[in-house]
Amino acid sequence: MSKKNKQDPRLPDETFEPYEEPRLIPLPVYWIAIALAIWGVVTLVQTSNAGHFADKERAALGEKTASVASPAASTAAPDTGAGKALFADNCSSCHGDAGEGVADAIPPLHASDVIKAGGASAISQIVMRGIGGPLIVDKANYDGEMPSFSSVLSDTEIAAIADYVATDLNGMNSTVSPDQVAEIRTASEDMDPWDGGAGLASLINGLPPQPASENASAPSPEATATASLASQGTANIWSCASCHGDKGEGTQTVPRLAGLAPAYLAKQLHDFSKGTRISDSMAYVAKSLSETQITELANYYGAMSSPSGAQPALKGDLARGEQLALSGDYSKNVPACFTCHGTSGIGVGAQFPGLAAQQPAYIAHQLAMWAGGARHNSPLGLMAGIGKALSDEDRRAVADYLASLPPAAGNAKTALAVSPTLKETTNVQ
Amino acid sequence: MNRYLPLAIVSLAILAFATLLLVIVPGMQIAADGVAPGLKPYTAAEARGRAVYVSMGCLYCHSQQPRDEAQAPDGERGWGRASVAGDYAYDAPHQLGTMRTGPDLMNIGDRLPSQDWQLTHLYQPRAISNWSIMPAYPFLFTHKDKAGPTDVVVKLPPAYAPKTGVIVANQDALDLVSYLQGMKHDYAPPGDGLRDNGYAQIDARQMPQTDAAKAAQ
Repeated sequence: MSKKNKQDPRLPDETFEPYEEPRLIPLPVYWIAIALAIWGVVTLVQTSNAGHFADKERAALGEKTASVASPAASTAAPDTGAGKALFADNCSSCHGDAGEGVADAIPPLHASDVIKAGGASAISQIVMRGIGGPLIVDKANYDGEMPSFSSVLSDTEIAAIADYVATDLNGMNSTVSPDQVAEIRTASEDMDPWDGGAGLASLINGLPPQPASENASAPSPEATATASLASQGTANIWSCASCHGDKGEGTQTVPRLAGLAPAYLAKQLHDFSKGTRISDSMAYVAKSLSETQITELANYYGAMSSPSGAQPALKGDLARGEQLALSGDYSKNVPACFTCHGTSGIGVGAQFPGLAAQQPAYIAHQLAMWAGGARHNSPLGLMAGIGKALSDEDRRAVADYLASLPPAAGNAKTALAVSPTLKETTNVQ
Repeated sequence: MNRYLPLAIVSLAILAFATLLLVIVPGMQIAADGVAPGLKPYTAAEARGRAVYVSMGCLYCHSQQPRDEAQAPDGERGWGRASVAGDYAYDAPHQLGTMRTGPDLMNIGDRLPSQDWQLTHLYQPRAISNWSIMPAYPFLFTHKDKAGPTDVVVKLPPAYAPKTGVIVANQDALDLVSYLQGMKHDYAPPGDGLRDNGYAQIDARQMPQTDAAKAAQ
């Protein structure tokens, strides 16, 4: 390869560097790039406050939840119309719009001798703790259960209701201040409902004669054994209370048991054990229980009164939930919950469990299970149709609304007869 | 390829920009967020249990990050509210996880508070759910002829119970269960808590139907 060897002109020049003529980027590409950039900046500006917007919505929701979560916190003075409105929302479904009551079932609040003897303070006590058992009002006998409203109403609201009932319905000159209600709340924490008229006699001086209490007897050995089964379990099964809580109030997808009808509880335990209701953990427990234990546990939880352990937690629309619970949605073929499950969701018989103060996650979860067919043990397949008709938002709305209600009180009178050969529902009335 | 310097400068600049936006700014935001009000630090037993949780690789199948109602039915599953950054203030490293082979455990202490259930389930998940694919952890337990005064005996159905003697939980199992029982993030999240906003904008457009919007107006 010396210089003498001149390159063959037929071969390409090895020193040649390829080059390209400068070619300008076509103008449309610039336009597109500029348009994209402008679009990007505009989108950035437009959406930059989306986070703040969501913050506001969250704050509003947070306030709403907080006001439900800690009703005791608000201490604003009650206004005059509030008591009437609160009475209509919380009391009138049982006691009637004017507090007239229902003959032989619900005591009147209008011109009632018990209220005239006790005044607004006694009303606050009863609203706070609830009451159950025999009671004589205006010489008529009553024997019902009223739930505690302590988890649902704030001190101010209870004071407003008590003032309304005492002054407007009974013409008394008796009021109670939110601060006094706050003292009652502190004093009645973890207390059982008032034990009928006998219990009220210890609270109110000059009460008309009242029937004797039915709950005076000491717990029987069987009752103690059942309580121990519920709180300690046995050698190979877990205790009920370890998941359902010491007071049967439930948590998340673990349901509240306190105050549910014994016949319903016993049916569910049988269904778990037969596999017609599906839950691995409950099947494990139910298969290890004897018939007698099932009956006794059902009676134990049926007679239990405990405060609500639930509060709205699924960001459901409470107004929509109330609509579904009270009047249903006939555009979707969904009947009102309360037509079957009883006024205020307190439950009816063996087939329709109480829903009030049930855990919202449990309700929403069960509705989804009905819809999907994973739960299918309702009479006539009623709940499957309802579950399918409800949207996800509706399920959360109704679950949150039910969680905001006061819990149904326990009722020992629906207890099942304890018999080793007991099969389904022997309801002793 | 003769302009190495500008190439190197531009690529480093891109890297620095990405680090700034993806690491430094979020880090500052999260650091400013602090501990969620209501979150308690781990107790000694829970902290030991957390170490067991990490060492057993629970994270590979269990997430700890419930999602918003708008995105997933986690609330209806009982998995709890969507988590915020402040919920993880005491977790280093966090155990967020990405796989949901098993259920989310952020609120397992709310959902399954029973120590007995957890011990049975750790010893043999099939004793409870015969379809479960979770591994059993028998090495966290000891087979004894007779339980000592302080031993915690595991409740087992006859099919899984030893023929003689009892199964008692080792300290590791008890600590792990303490940790799981303590997984309760049921306090209200801070209103300005850092979290995925989900479909906040879509929600916002639908808001006029809801109470919150009425209250906000």
